[in-house]
Amino acid sequence: MKLEIGNFIVKEVSFGNSTSFQNGVLTINKKEALEHVMEDSHITEADIVIAVPGDKKRIVPVKEAIEARCKIGKNCTFPGVTGDLYQLGEGRTHALKNMSVLAVGKHWGSFGDGLIDMSGPGADYSHYSGLINVCLVADTDEEFERHEQQKKNHALRWGAMRLSEYLAEAVRELEPDEIEDYDLCSITGRDNVKDLHKVVYVIQCQSQMEELGYNDLVYGWDMNKYVPTLMHPNEIIDSAIISGSFMPCSSKWSTYDFQNNPTIKELYKEHGKTLNFLGVITSNLNVSLEQKNRSALFVAQIASTIGADGAILAEEGYGNPDADFIACFDALEDAGVKTVGITNECTGRDGKSQPLVVLSEKADAIVSCGNVSKLIELAPMEEVVGELQSLARDGLSGGWADDEKLGPSVKEDGSIIMENNSMFCGDQVVGWSQKTMKEF
Amino acid sequence: MKKIVHYINQFFAGVGGEEQADYKPELHTEILGPSLALNKALEDAEVTHTLVCGDGYFGSNEEAATQELLGMLEGLEFDLFVAGPTFRAGRYGFAAGSICKSVKEKFGVPVLTSMNDENPGVNMYKKDMYIFKGGKSATKMRSDIKVIASAANKILKGEKLGSAESENFYPRGIRLQVIDKNMKPASTRVVEMLLKKLSGKEFETELPIPKNDRVDIAPAIKDLSKAKIALVTTGGIVPIDNPDKIQSASATRWGMYDISSNDDLLEGIYKTIHAGFDPYGADTDPDRIVPLDVLRAYEKEGKIDSIDSHFYSTVGTGTTEGEAYRMGSEIAVVLKDHNVDAVILTST
Repeated sequence: MKLEIGNFIVKEVSFGNSTSFQNGVLTINKKEALEHVMEDSHITEADIVIAVPGDKKRIVPVKEAIEARCKIGKNCTFPGVTGDLYQLGEGRTHALKNMSVLAVGKHWGSFGDGLIDMSGPGADYSHYSGLINVCLVADTDEEFERHEQQKKNHALRWGAMRLSEYLAEAVRELEPDEIEDYDLCSITGRDNVKDLHKVVYVIQCQSQMEELGYNDLVYGWDMNKYVPTLMHPNEIIDSAIISGSFMPCSSKWSTYDFQNNPTIKELYKEHGKTLNFLGVITSNLNVSLEQKNRSALFVAQIASTIGADGAILAEEGYGNPDADFIACFDALEDAGVKTVGITNECTGRDGKSQPLVVLSEKADAIVSCGNVSKLIELAPMEEVVGELQSLARDGLSGGWADDEKLGPSVKEDGSIIMENNSMFCGDQVVGWSQKTMKEF
Repeated sequence: MKKIVHYINQFFAGVGGEEQADYKPELHTEILGPSLALNKALEDAEVTHTLVCGDGYFGSNEEAATQELLGMLEGLEFDLFVAGPTFRAGRYGFAAGSICKSVKEKFGVPVLTSMNDENPGVNMYKKDMYIFKGGKSATKMRSDIKVIASAANKILKGEKLGSAESENFYPRGIRLQVIDKNMKPASTRVVEMLLKKLSGKEFETELPIPKNDRVDIAPAIKDLSKAKIALVTTGGIVPIDNPDKIQSASATRWGMYDISSNDDLLEGIYKTIHAGFDPYGADTDPDRIVPLDVLRAYEKEGKIDSIDSHFYSTVGTGTTEGEAYRMGSEIAVVLKDHNVDAVILTST
């Protein structure tokens, strides 16, 4: 499969009369852009706010991040989600780089939503603090979940996808600033890789809600109703997987995270040099033990069948999903596939709790990306995009309405105290993470 | 200038070796032995007192010795407490860890000590305090003192100590997040670690999984009718007045109770002091946890030869692995002494 991603480096985003891209400046016709967003009658009001690294802005509740892209020769970016199915991972895709489209609640947050600070110490906790963010700030009439802690956030997430597709239309016909080539032929058709380690990347995508509508989607298919499948890495970075709306936010992988997965890029870089990158086994995370074991069994079988001798295993979650992570780790090691895991930890605010819910001596190689329960205190920010109170009021995983010792998450002066849990995609298990855990 | 009190044993105080191990606690205003070296390595602090106690005396009179030592510190002004370095000396390590823990609890000052990794005091006290990694013997005195002094200087200046790895102390079971913008991103770390693992090279996991300290199953007893059986429990069954004052959780104490003339553990005479479960079933019939009644029946039927004269009890809930290991080892000594062939170990 051969994929070209044509990159358009965005240096500035502004509003103007027509949506266009020129000399690194993306100009947005706000009215037209919002018309695309408002195609869904469930969106009752919407605005677009631009947040640039260094701005004194705090964005919350953030539900999703998407890289604006268009597929050359096709009329949708997310087949099975925003349009008809077609094969991803081949052909040409155009992408607006250095920029993401965020779905932000105008008022209401939910368990899986997160926070992004565009400057100050809070900016150390999210990859998105370093990007130009085009924030779709909107409210909806999804009354059935307005006061629920768990929200599907369907209207907002799909609205942001439409906005990202609309923005990327500006570069469909243009020549990209640079082109990235992702060319990986069939496993059996490869020359010059015979003596290299055969490596597979296993991603355990979040799918623990039995009710549909909250989980990650692959080509539009809910990953709760899924058994592990071998995929071409190009499909993943070409928008085959859409992020869900369930997991505590720092553990979550946004759609942008899937589109830009740094581990896939690293494996591509090493392919043909130090290793033979066989492909990606997309697995899931489950509730019952039988489901967990079934997925582990499928992963180990696929890895063995394609002849992998090494695996990188990544989980999109913590707590209960640690059982899936360790089950899969054990299954791979038992099948003779040497495995390195990558995950975050939950050692508690004092650092004294067991790092994963389940441990195994076979899991002897793990890269750690941080502590979900680290307490973070941040000073007030000049401007809030969204609604700050959502962090305290709406049951975000790292916020609280009140606490005997710590008081509420949101103070009267706009300063906040929260757990890392609600830092937007903060633990970056997909590979950006420059966090780790140490013994003290 | 900040003040430090330094605890050492009789040997390093120059009193004598094993023959002087029962040396009772003493407080010296003129500092001596390793205190001199410690004092020299301090920046804006001084060692004002040396506290001396014999290892044997402390070991066999822990509670009394602790009270005497704490009494001597009463009324003294000090900002930090140091014990050792204790190298591989097991009883010295135990005393240092124990007194550090008590001083920290009573006076709320930071406590520091140093032990070799084979000193049993490490596992018993590493979660309670900074124990720096020390040498095997006193030839490492200078370097071990230097490590303690440099940490003391930092703490007294109000600085925080870094990670266990960077400061060279035994991990205290506290894992915290570190952000380092110079660190390679996780994607690079994970691929590098995998390549090392695949090539059989050494690699360092970022999440060490604690090793299960498994004990092999003992060979089966071929003829039970000739065996002497003992009952041991972590279910907290004790005589009603709990004579050994075993704690209801996080136990550090165990007891042995004579049952040579008992056929049954009766309600009102025995009870459980375990705080980790509903005690109703255990209190109304303590045999549910220490099954003496059925074992006596087996004895009468000749299925087993005899029952040990005592049963042994502690509480398992919240009890640290280190304490459990120590208590188990201590109980095993008595069991061997009683020529016990097998143990029924009940938990809850």
